[in-house]
Amino acid sequence: MDNLFALNIIHRPELSPEYAERALGGRKDVRDESLDIFLFQQSAAHENGLKTTIQITYASLFSDKIVEIAKEHHGIYGDEIGLSLLGLPCKQFREKYKTEDFCIWMFDEETKKQIVDDCFSLFFEKFGFYPESTGSYFLDAFTINYIKKKYPSVKCAVATCWEEGPKAYHTCNNSWYTFMDGGPWNPWIPSKVNSHCPASGKEDDSGIVAIPHLSRDLMACFDGNGSNFGTHPQNVLRGMIYYKDGDSVEYPYLYNLIDEYRHLAKYNDGYCYNMMFVGPGWLNRAGRWEAPYELLAKSYRDGMKYYGKLKKEGKCVDMTMSEFADFYRERHPDYRRGECALWKDILYGSDKEYFWYADPALRCCLDFNQGGAMIDLRPYIARIPQETGIGTDSVWDASYPYLIQANYRAGYFTHYAGAGTVKSCKVHYHGQSADLCLCRTMASFRRTEGGVEITADPVTVLLDGLAIVIRSVFFFEDGTGKVLTRREIVNDLHGEEVEFEEYFTGGFGTTEYQPDMTKLTLGVGKEEFPFTYHGKKLSGKGTAHVSIPDVYTRVEMGGEADLCEVEEGIAFSPVYHLRASKKITKGAFETWLRLQREN
Amino acid sequence: MAQAAKGKLNFRCPRCFMRDIDIDMFFDADKKEYYCLRCNFRGTEEEVEALNEQVKEKYGRLRERVTDFGADNRPPVFAPHRRGEQ
Repeated sequence: MDNLFALNIIHRPELSPEYAERALGGRKDVRDESLDIFLFQQSAAHENGLKTTIQITYASLFSDKIVEIAKEHHGIYGDEIGLSLLGLPCKQFREKYKTEDFCIWMFDEETKKQIVDDCFSLFFEKFGFYPESTGSYFLDAFTINYIKKKYPSVKCAVATCWEEGPKAYHTCNNSWYTFMDGGPWNPWIPSKVNSHCPASGKEDDSGIVAIPHLSRDLMACFDGNGSNFGTHPQNVLRGMIYYKDGDSVEYPYLYNLIDEYRHLAKYNDGYCYNMMFVGPGWLNRAGRWEAPYELLAKSYRDGMKYYGKLKKEGKCVDMTMSEFADFYRERHPDYRRGECALWKDILYGSDKEYFWYADPALRCCLDFNQGGAMIDLRPYIARIPQETGIGTDSVWDASYPYLIQANYRAGYFTHYAGAGTVKSCKVHYHGQSADLCLCRTMASFRRTEGGVEITADPVTVLLDGLAIVIRSVFFFEDGTGKVLTRREIVNDLHGEEVEFEEYFTGGFGTTEYQPDMTKLTLGVGKEEFPFTYHGKKLSGKGTAHVSIPDVYTRVEMGGEADLCEVEEGIAFSPVYHLRASKKITKGAFETWLRLQREN
Repeated sequence: MAQAAKGKLNFRCPRCFMRDIDIDMFFDADKKEYYCLRCNFRGTEEEVEALNEQVKEKYGRLRERVTDFGADNRPPVFAPHRRGEQ
């Protein structure tokens, strides 16, 4: 199959952009300026031969001029006219709903339905048809299911901002309540139960193809503010990722980021994807993030120019959202196949490398700067039936829970006591130990029968004068929730015996702070005990396991082990540990990790 | 003394930006300086711009363009970026 780089360009006209209204201090000419911004964005795309999806906002449905322009651009350029559930705020909305809220997933269920019906019926009134695409920063399963049932023409939606959670909140001076961590970074077909999870099959298929709000840097956004590192030229300016050369401002990172997304075709059967969706508030005349309007506009034009150049060279296919949905379904007939990204640092100069994997059963990240340690894990197989919005237990937090998140919950390094969430391996010899987290390496990708295999370059551990050369191999089974790990001894140890201890230190939650753990049950084989924060251990020959009812998940670890062990954490270190150990003189130690749904 | 206001651009506090916090500064027209509501930074526009250049030091590849993503287990190959080139 030929490589294909699919591109969505999305523009939304807003007559009361939520950013600009405040940033401009309620200036009277915001309305005209917003229309100008939309026209500027459209012309930047069209001048470079690119078609767009116009996502009409609620506020702009009250503007005959915008309706007329959208129809005109659809006729001339083939732009799709979709409907955004962003851009709700306007006089009519506030008068009708008596609220300053503007995020569709944060309303109560009845109001969500009312707003959807209001927007869709007004859209129909203005255009004479229902849209095929919609979106928001985040769309929960409830809203997607309602839209699909009532307006079956919809087949594509913007449904998340990748890794926009606690990091974005902190960056915005603890004021930006868009908690939606834990979803896929690239398009997916959402589950009917939880929109973060890729559908496991036809019966779980919500009927739409979801796309992320931006194509984000899969390394920079894991540690830093997501809104600095995406295919969004003004995000790049916000991150100050530019330099001045005379009177010109240059941002090669934007092009490097687009190119790295193109490179991901190598890991996904020749398919790769990008989207650019810049709201009008980012292009206002007053300037933004230290950047004057002229620079904001230049960067947007340059972004479009680069995509246009790729298109002219036959390296990019621009699609509307609904065209993309059709293309995606044709290209992804198998729901279980994992989306993969072996991601290299293109910004800091660290030579770090992550491997991201997502399928209907799990999302995971391995860090090869830490020997292939698992630094993020989300149990999609649990299909956690999350509800968000007023009237639920989670008014604003729509993030999909982690079991491991090494930045929120420490990972390898802690301050003198306790342990952080990470999965890695310790090697023991003559009373000395080393953790593969401290072995920096890189890895190679291979798609195999029923999954993908990631092989790390061998690393050397030195213990009591003995050099042990170890190669780590990770195998992800498509859609089963099972990850196999093989630690191979590559050199001759001359009969010396070393012990491998594969370990999983986990927690659960959506933020840096661990919820209560007393509902957990730990066990080895058939023996079990409840979590009580006393550091209790249990070991034996069976499989190590933990049940976490709060996230409907059971984690099991086993393999060719001499011994498996579980240990509960203490109050100062609220985590749980699963371990599998084996002593060998040569060959390899194989273990498996399995996630399961548990009610 | 009148109340402070936003400056001509929304300059963020460079000290807070260094710790991944975006917080707009306000301008004290009497002292002709920006100041941060959260941390203890205050400074002129020139001082802010100088610190903003320091912020960029963490981006080791700021002025470079990837020419080849190379083998999986090798870092990308970079070349100096030239003005105006995409």
